[in-house]
Amino acid sequence: MKKKTPLMQRDGTRSVLASLLSIIIGMAAGAVVVLLVGLFNKSMSLKTAWEGIRIIFLGIISTGRNAAGALTFGFNPVNFGNMLFRATPLILTGLSVAVAYKTGLFNIGAPGQYLAGTAATLFIALEIPSSVVPAWLIWILAFLGGMAAGALWGAIPGMMKALLNINEVLACIMTNWISANLVTWAFDVSNLKNTVENTKTAYIYKTSFNGVQTPKMFLDKIFPGSQVNGGILIAIALAILMYIIFTKTTFGYELKACGANRHAAKYAGIKDKRSIVLSMAIAGAMSGAAGALYYLAGNTEFYWSTYQSLPATGFNGIPVALLAVCNPIAVIFTGMFMSMLDIAGLQLTNLTAYNEYITDVIISVIVYLSAFSLVIKLWLGGRTKKTGDGPDANAETGPAPAVGAAAGKEAQK
Amino acid sequence: MEQTPEYVIEMLHITKEFPGIKANDDITLQLRKGEIHALLGENGAGKSTLMSVLFGLYQPEQGEIRKNGQPVKIESPNDATALHIGMVHQHFKLIEVFTVLDNIILGAEDTKMGFLQKKDARAKVEALSKQYGLYVDLDAKVEDITVGMQQRTEILKMLYRDNEILIFDEPTAVLTPQEIEELMQIMRNLAAEGKSILFISHKLNEIMEVSDRVTVLRKGKYVGTIDTAGTTKEELSRMMVGRPVQLVVDKDEARPGEAVLTVEGLCVPSRVHKHDAVKDVSFTVHAGEIVCVAGIDGNGQTEFVQALTGLEKTSGGKITLCGHDITHQSIRARSKTGMSHIPEDRHKHGLVLDFTLEQNLVLQRYYEPRFQNHGFIRFDAVRSYAEGLIKQYDVRSGQGPVTVARSMSGGNQQKAIVAREIDRNLPLIVAVQPTRGLDVGAIEYIHRQLVAQRDAGKAVLLVSLELDEVMNLSDRILVMYEGEIVGELDPKKTTVEELGLYMAGAKRQGKERETA
Repeated sequence: MKKKTPLMQRDGTRSVLASLLSIIIGMAAGAVVVLLVGLFNKSMSLKTAWEGIRIIFLGIISTGRNAAGALTFGFNPVNFGNMLFRATPLILTGLSVAVAYKTGLFNIGAPGQYLAGTAATLFIALEIPSSVVPAWLIWILAFLGGMAAGALWGAIPGMMKALLNINEVLACIMTNWISANLVTWAFDVSNLKNTVENTKTAYIYKTSFNGVQTPKMFLDKIFPGSQVNGGILIAIALAILMYIIFTKTTFGYELKACGANRHAAKYAGIKDKRSIVLSMAIAGAMSGAAGALYYLAGNTEFYWSTYQSLPATGFNGIPVALLAVCNPIAVIFTGMFMSMLDIAGLQLTNLTAYNEYITDVIISVIVYLSAFSLVIKLWLGGRTKKTGDGPDANAETGPAPAVGAAAGKEAQK
Repeated sequence: MEQTPEYVIEMLHITKEFPGIKANDDITLQLRKGEIHALLGENGAGKSTLMSVLFGLYQPEQGEIRKNGQPVKIESPNDATALHIGMVHQHFKLIEVFTVLDNIILGAEDTKMGFLQKKDARAKVEALSKQYGLYVDLDAKVEDITVGMQQRTEILKMLYRDNEILIFDEPTAVLTPQEIEELMQIMRNLAAEGKSILFISHKLNEIMEVSDRVTVLRKGKYVGTIDTAGTTKEELSRMMVGRPVQLVVDKDEARPGEAVLTVEGLCVPSRVHKHDAVKDVSFTVHAGEIVCVAGIDGNGQTEFVQALTGLEKTSGGKITLCGHDITHQSIRARSKTGMSHIPEDRHKHGLVLDFTLEQNLVLQRYYEPRFQNHGFIRFDAVRSYAEGLIKQYDVRSGQGPVTVARSMSGGNQQKAIVAREIDRNLPLIVAVQPTRGLDVGAIEYIHRQLVAQRDAGKAVLLVSLELDEVMNLSDRILVMYEGEIVGELDPKKTTVEELGLYMAGAKRQGKERETA
């Protein structure tokens, strides 16, 4: 009875292909930039350009240069470890955006939630003396506190949407800036400014000053010399948890029903207002966890002074989620991919005359294309697409993610 | 060679395939000059596809289109317009903030040095409007005029472009009975002036009244073309559905039992004005009877149902269901107490269109232990339950339980909702406009289901705008006018005319009407 759809016609396959296509085009665009810079810069040769292109694609496995001056490639534990370290917050903010999107909400508030989580985490991790409370308990409190703060910061636009029908995008943009200024003020009047290292008063103490830091969970044995810690495993666990909630549970069913059709959900006796607030709170908790895990690493320090921009990690959650077509499991991989580009950028700076900003070009091209991933997906669908508008199907298409992404970019400016 | 060919438009042996389905299979349609030609078929029979082929939106794999005997190629709507083929879509294509006149001339504006020349256009539109009896205020904004007037604007749009062949895609679906009557007259006028009309519908009454000939499609195939004068509604519905259809439901005398639903002095605030939309409504529905709330659209029925089912708050009164006071209960609590609800708007309330069919079929009971285990959905239970319902209620869809609800036809979407609500097996069924927009086959089916539920001892509260449905199905009729119940009638002792008088507010019974 049950016929399996051929692999190429499956929705999932097409989503993956669309995302891969965005990635490849983005990297190719980066390669073109490298080539152009190489051609027009007198101090560079075509050979340098070729090296640059190779590093863009293979930066993650670059191991430096050999005695003859040629690029060498192989397993580079530092690169891999750092990639995982940088992927941790990206996966979580990506989850934040993806989870909200699954419930019909566009969470552009990830930066604000990230900041709220960061502040709560740092206050808890630094203010509770580790001489009184064991460090592991402080760590747990700080992590949960960060998540709770993010959840609260997400719930505010959620409540505005649910009770007053205010568009969550507008509310999120405003709460982002409120968060930024609030956090700056809170640290300014706090006693957490780094006065030990003279040059660093614009920074907050690292949590390791209080002996609190995320355990390595043996990852430092696999990737010696890198910054990696157990945070990545927590991020992956949270991604799996989100996947389970949204695909396997009645709770996820309620949230998705409410996101897809608030009226029908209400008709079926689902508490629509509660669902919207909860969706945003969960999304906020993910962003809060991103901030918490990044600053609990122990080797990172928070620049609090005159906070006038929003953290890019929050906004980068949007392309991470879009590339993953908002699938929580796929977010793990797209988050790692984004941080891999970061690493490639660093390698580019270290090993060639290019600078790392070329990877920003790649990321922005990918962001643009990921917004179009729905179009690419339809285009890949080609002939099979028409199935939907067969006879008498006067159905409208759902809201395209491209719309949301466009709004996102507006806000980022 | 004839001097004037018999047909203005001929679509010969048209075949149009979509992956997995032959939407049109060797269909022939011949339209005479000056006739009103109805195209009849169930939802999904291929009517819209055929018209899209004629309008250049789809290219057929096989077949030929001729105009006045000459083969023509229609590759885009522009080609269709050039051939003077015009269409009034079911959902109007008007710009709401433009005036009627601006909408009519849009895309065919006269300009002089880049400036609009509306004077000639106005004169032409006024002449047309007079000639065909299409009265519209040309300077009113579209958003401010009634649906009937918007439709006239669409018709004027076609006439302004000198279209000879006019396609009406289910034009009556959105109109009130009075507006339908006016439209019929307009169509007759148009035909008398030599325009040829293709009229897509599945409403037999209208087809019998207005058309000269009927072409019937069934499941993408051509069934036949007959003269309306020589046929009956019964024959047409048999051709359309493929089997004899009972247009009148067979039902025995109702045997009302205990009171299931009691409404006392219910008042519901209006969303648009300060007064109550529903005023002091009281009645009782017993087990084993179908009570129908009849009335013209907009007389408080929607607000009444929303208050009854918990979607809106009441401003006074008491609702008792199976002995429990549910006036201030949540929707879920009402549902658990014993109320199932077939909602008026199946897209807004009835279905989550982006969910699959099986997800929609458990929308009202996903939380029951049968379908979940500690908060985890039991997918196998959902699947087998959905498969059972689909089979039992003959819900047709492309991929069975995993079909996305949005891609299903309206009739099958409605069947899915009816299946879901009836299968909950609750003492009260609130059915609001359960057959709106459905074809006779589906209507017959749903009516039978409701009668079967009544016979099984359920209380059925039907809210309907269709007079036929009201007269046919109910055991008692409550007429609602301006938010009040103005009369209680026995369908066997009353006439459609009398019912109409109550509905229009021309007649009303005293407050102390008998309670059954």
